Amino acid sequence: MALILESVSYTRGQFRLTANGIFEEGVHLVSGIVGSGKSTLAFIASGMVLPGEGSVTRTGIMNSLLSMQFPEYHTTGITVNDEIRSWGLDPGTVLASSRLSGRGDDDVTVLSRGELKRLHLGCVLSGDADLLILDEPFSALDCREKRVICRKISEQDHGTVIICTHEQTWLPPVDFIWEMKGGTLVSCGRVPEAILRWGLAPRHIRDLIERGLVPGNISPEAVMEAA
Amino acid sequence: MIVLTSIKHGILTIPFLEISSGSTVIIGPNGSGKTTLLQIIAGIISPQSGSVAIDGKSPASVNTGWLNEYPDRNLLFGTVSDEIASPLRFRQDHCPEVQERVNSIAHDSGISHLLGRRTRDLSGGEKVLVSLATAMVTRPLVLVLDESDSHLDQESTRTLTRLIRDSNASYLVWCTQDMETATGADQVILLEGGSVTRCGTPHEVFAELSGDCLYPLSWRLSCGSHP
Repeated sequence: MALILESVSYTRGQFRLTANGIFEEGVHLVSGIVGSGKSTLAFIASGMVLPGEGSVTRTGIMNSLLSMQFPEYHTTGITVNDEIRSWGLDPGTVLASSRLSGRGDDDVTVLSRGELKRLHLGCVLSGDADLLILDEPFSALDCREKRVICRKISEQDHGTVIICTHEQTWLPPVDFIWEMKGGTLVSCGRVPEAILRWGLAPRHIRDLIERGLVPGNISPEAVMEAA
Repeated sequence: MIVLTSIKHGILTIPFLEISSGSTVIIGPNGSGKTTLLQIIAGIISPQSGSVAIDGKSPASVNTGWLNEYPDRNLLFGTVSDEIASPLRFRQDHCPEVQERVNSIAHDSGISHLLGRRTRDLSGGEKVLVSLATAMVTRPLVLVLDESDSHLDQESTRTLTRLIRDSNASYLVWCTQDMETATGADQVILLEGGSVTRCGTPHEVFAELSGDCLYPLSWRLSCGSHP
């Protein structure tokens, strides 16, 4: 199972994205500064945007799902229950897993943004996509919820998960790290070696490396163990 | 001084709260009332009961910059240049002065390259940076930011922090889910279930949270206990 980006390029105005790489089965982290093209890459990887040149090939991937960075872009239901049903899911199950029990009849628009993000991710992570692309899944979530999302990502028992994020602290264990540099996708390789090549590593990880300590992974637990 | 007295509004119940000049960060779980509190301070909503005074005045009569947690809800105009200029044009400033001020704040914000871009084509982080520049363009006395950092990378967050600290605003009140950012504030307020449960300097507030995931990871790494 793999997502293969071959000589991909995409141009919008002055911005140009280029990408070459194979996203194998496992959890991939894509980091990059604001405006570097992470979301555009996510759209191309999902098939929602076609590249101007090059090819995007899927092998063994039967279904995929893109979670956009703004949960409000996904909202179609009037009530919370409607929204969950629009995903073809059982409201009771998702409400419980999203810690929103009792809120099913609420208008979706009265949820706080963090609650809306919880609801959205509760729906996304209830599915069984072979390719799951999560654009900024941790934004607006508090630390308890970020830990829950990290755990759920870690529990994905098959397929490819691509996480595009600026999150610095609450990250799940990942298998591969990539960076978007000036619109170009660059592979840092497989973890843990990739951590040493990760230019945008969080400060606490860079501090550890400067002390000669390389964590086995990027999760807080792995970082604490290395420290 | 910002003084809130006998506030009741939705989930919020705040008998008394004083916010000193300087940087105040509001932290707390999703749905704890952070956005509601910020909206009351910004004068966007009036509390169902109780009162707010900013240096003895009503919030509605104070020049306040506001950043909504939904990036798209901040943007009204088609181009970045028009968006940043809009508060100055609404108060009928002269065109040359408007252009000079727009160029100046765009430069200070590191977004001069975005001035000609269409707002709808911006990335999530770029929308936040443009909205922040717009909120600050009139040199407000009070700057209220609702999770402005949730779509920003480390460098952009540093730029944002420097920018708002260098602004003329006497009061910076913002909420964040990044506890590393919160450690740099003058005052931290913890909201839980609509009530202020902790208030003080970052050291005072976080000292009582050492067993919680809210405790900054960098502090935890320096003392060696697990999250």
